Amino acid sequence: MKLLFELGTEELPALEAPRLAQALAERVLTALEEARLPHGEAKVHWTPRRLALLVEGLPEKQEDRVEELRGPAASVGLDEQGHPTQAGIGFAKKHGASPDQLVKKKVGEREYLFLTVRTPGRPTGEVLQEILPEAVRGLPCSKSMRWDDSGLSFLRPIRWLVCLLESEVVPVKLGHLVAGRTTRGHRFFGPREVELSNPEDYLEALRGARVLADPEERGERIRAEVRRVEEEHRVRASLSEELLGRLVGAGEWPVGVLGTIPREFLDLPPEVIEATLHEEGKFVPFSRDGAPAEVFLGFRDGAPDETGVVRRGYERVVKARLRDSRFFFENDRKRPLADRVRGLKEVVYEARLGSMWQRVERIRAICGHLAEALELPAELLDRAAFLCKADLTTDMVREFPELEGVMGGIYARLDGEPEEVAIAIGEHLRPRSRSDELPETPLGTALSLAEKLDAVIGAIRIGEVPTGSRDPYGIRRRGGAIVRLILEKRLRLDLYALIDATSDLYPQVEGGLGSREVKELLQDRLRATLRADHSLPHDVVEAVLAAPRGDFLGALERAQALAALRGDPALSELAVAFSRVRNITKDHDRAEFDPDLFKEEAERELWRAYLKAEGHLRRALRQRQYAEALRHLLTLKEPVDRYFDDVLVMAEDRKLRENRLGFLRAVTELFLEVGDLSRLVVT
Amino acid sequence: MKTFQDLVLALHDYWRRQGCVIAHPYDLEKGAGTFNPATFFGCLGKRPWRVAYVEPSRRPTDGRYGENPIRLRLHHQYQVILKPPPADIQDLYLGSLEHIGIVLRDHDVKFSEDDWESPTLGAWGVGWQIWLDEMEITQFTYFQQIGGLDLDPVSVELTYGLERIAMFLQGAESAFELLWSEHVRYGEIWLDKEREFSIYNFERASVERIRKIFELCEAEAKDCLAAGLVFPAYDQTLRCSHLFNVLDARGAISVTERESYIARIRALARGCAEGYLAKLEERSEAPV
Repeated sequence: MKLLFELGTEELPALEAPRLAQALAERVLTALEEARLPHGEAKVHWTPRRLALLVEGLPEKQEDRVEELRGPAASVGLDEQGHPTQAGIGFAKKHGASPDQLVKKKVGEREYLFLTVRTPGRPTGEVLQEILPEAVRGLPCSKSMRWDDSGLSFLRPIRWLVCLLESEVVPVKLGHLVAGRTTRGHRFFGPREVELSNPEDYLEALRGARVLADPEERGERIRAEVRRVEEEHRVRASLSEELLGRLVGAGEWPVGVLGTIPREFLDLPPEVIEATLHEEGKFVPFSRDGAPAEVFLGFRDGAPDETGVVRRGYERVVKARLRDSRFFFENDRKRPLADRVRGLKEVVYEARLGSMWQRVERIRAICGHLAEALELPAELLDRAAFLCKADLTTDMVREFPELEGVMGGIYARLDGEPEEVAIAIGEHLRPRSRSDELPETPLGTALSLAEKLDAVIGAIRIGEVPTGSRDPYGIRRRGGAIVRLILEKRLRLDLYALIDATSDLYPQVEGGLGSREVKELLQDRLRATLRADHSLPHDVVEAVLAAPRGDFLGALERAQALAALRGDPALSELAVAFSRVRNITKDHDRAEFDPDLFKEEAERELWRAYLKAEGHLRRALRQRQYAEALRHLLTLKEPVDRYFDDVLVMAEDRKLRENRLGFLRAVTELFLEVGDLSRLVVT
Repeated sequence: MKTFQDLVLALHDYWRRQGCVIAHPYDLEKGAGTFNPATFFGCLGKRPWRVAYVEPSRRPTDGRYGENPIRLRLHHQYQVILKPPPADIQDLYLGSLEHIGIVLRDHDVKFSEDDWESPTLGAWGVGWQIWLDEMEITQFTYFQQIGGLDLDPVSVELTYGLERIAMFLQGAESAFELLWSEHVRYGEIWLDKEREFSIYNFERASVERIRKIFELCEAEAKDCLAAGLVFPAYDQTLRCSHLFNVLDARGAISVTERESYIARIRALARGCAEGYLAKLEERSEAPV
């Protein structure tokens, strides 16, 4: 049998509706399975005014449930003649069975009475009346509300219910509502009420009532309309997934309405025009040969705009907004960006970390170190750092916070700042999200790194570490961005030295943490990035991170070298050999020894192998030839094995013992230059 | 709908037919129609309540010296409260748009998610902005809390932006061009006031004196609350709220201070709401 369940609502938030529809389906399907109602294909549909679920292949009733129930021990439930006692009879009665259905079965050493109880399956419709209201009640809404005295709460008010099993209504009750077969058409262009005869009619009946219930279909219409405009006007659309999602969720029957931007506004920076049109997720902007095009596309809900009234309305709104934007632009341009920097003293960054101006000073100091470490033009980088936050006091950024940084770059260029400086400012907030692109230029990369480092270090130094899902300062995201910048831009940098060097830029506050915690957090991000973005195995990552170092790029390279050899028996054997060395030196941290005290041949053999390997290994490490370094470690495998066969490390003689432990400690440390191989999972 | 006043009268006419009390602006400065006691107290407690009124809403930071066509230091809200909200509340609202002459099938009307919150009133709700051809004309909110207290029943608040709707109806590009009556333009009544108040709020208001007045009003409110006088306490709370807005426009409030000012006003609002509910319980009847 086919099921249709539709929840009719007042307008749901565009981006949450699809998530909720999916969750409804998952909850219902899980409940069906738990209720022994197998099902076929399920489809989810939604619009701002409805969530709908279509399920095929449901049986007429539940499968019968057969249970074997254990009762009292046979010695208690039956008397000596084998007749049921009071206890035996009571057990049978409790489950609606007669005493002669009791059977004996052995469990372990003892015998018990058992009953086989068959519960006949109930009709599907009856079960649905229990399942569906529960599925709705348990839906996770970002913010739920009440609208009447039923005690029901949901994302927005629920106003009608439809529930059909084939052609029969299932009178599901929820709050004050009882499900029927009446759905509603488009608010302005459809019939108010639409009778559904069976689930199969759902999409077509609604189509006839000016509702495209299938979100894919609405999305396709929107994309087709955008493509049509692109071809007709030889332009390219800027249609992000988010904007598309908002448009799909904004109506039940999207119809494109093409508007024109007055020429006088087209000389505004493209980013400004785009942000203005995107505001509140309304209009699709277009460009031609990189410059803003004179057309924009809106979507009216329900019907074509035959009279042009809607187009004129859209154009009026766009014009008013662009006029505001131009006003902001011209107003901002009255003062060069450099003049605005002082104003940052008035902008609070964080009470304990001071003003934005102080933040800029810290970013400049970090950039100073970066310029040296990365051999970048220090003056240009400092100029970019000095100006990078100045756009915060502009009207444009106050109106469009998403243009922060972007406007700084645009204004810097117009002010005649060096092109590298303007680009670096424009790039310095990238990546804004995990999927965002990194800066393209070296200066932009360094500035972005400094900006994020200051944010992360600052937050931790005042004790604002992320806990659970709480991360008010965006530390994890920024920490991840720092790691991405270093790894993907291949920055040779001792990050920990940099953190130590800039430590006294930050205030000492009560409850604040230190550089150690900053390093730990960044190491955590490095660990996550190596595993997620570089697909490195867990044990390899742990081996490499066992000895924390500030050279994150080196960590990636060491991990890649190890991963390449993973599964090679030689590496496994080396790992086992090293584990022996590592274990025995666990509590011995002085790598001091005197080769003259070596007595056994195996000791002297390992000593020679060590000396040879050490020189090669350190050279390979200096040249960052990690695979090569690993090859030199492999030469130690056999001498190590022989050593443990022939030498008693824990000798009676204390001097001898200490000497041997000191030597093995030195071997351990040599290995740790590459990684803690004892953490490798050996198969 | 030729004039601004015709628009107001048409809304009065529509909502009075829906059983609303047609109330008046409350004669103290406030940032939104929500602050009017007809809403603040009317939404508390069990008693059904329907009210509609115009509220001149003063937001010092929105002032633009009369130079922006639509951003105003004082704009007019048309406020409707329906408690409890009927199930066809959205249709009722759309009916009011038809009633003021907007033919819905000629336009593009969208309910676009927008959750509303007033930190100073300790009030929040869930709802939409209504967009007419992508211009915002109304805030539609299902109030969930006022004064930090859960509402039972909930109320719907409709807040129409009268200047925007009038501009739409009259095809005007600036609020100041609107016809208020057939012979008087909006600007004739309001332009000078916008200029002077912008100068006052942004440049002249004495931060020191306003801070003092705030303290005095807060002290009065607390005394009134202690004496069980909720309505006088609420008046003083409204004064505090506006004085805070003036200080804000003067740029006299730092980020950290802002939080504490808001918390102080919210505490007063909460005191008023609790005191009012306590009175209702005593009398099991709501004064209006």
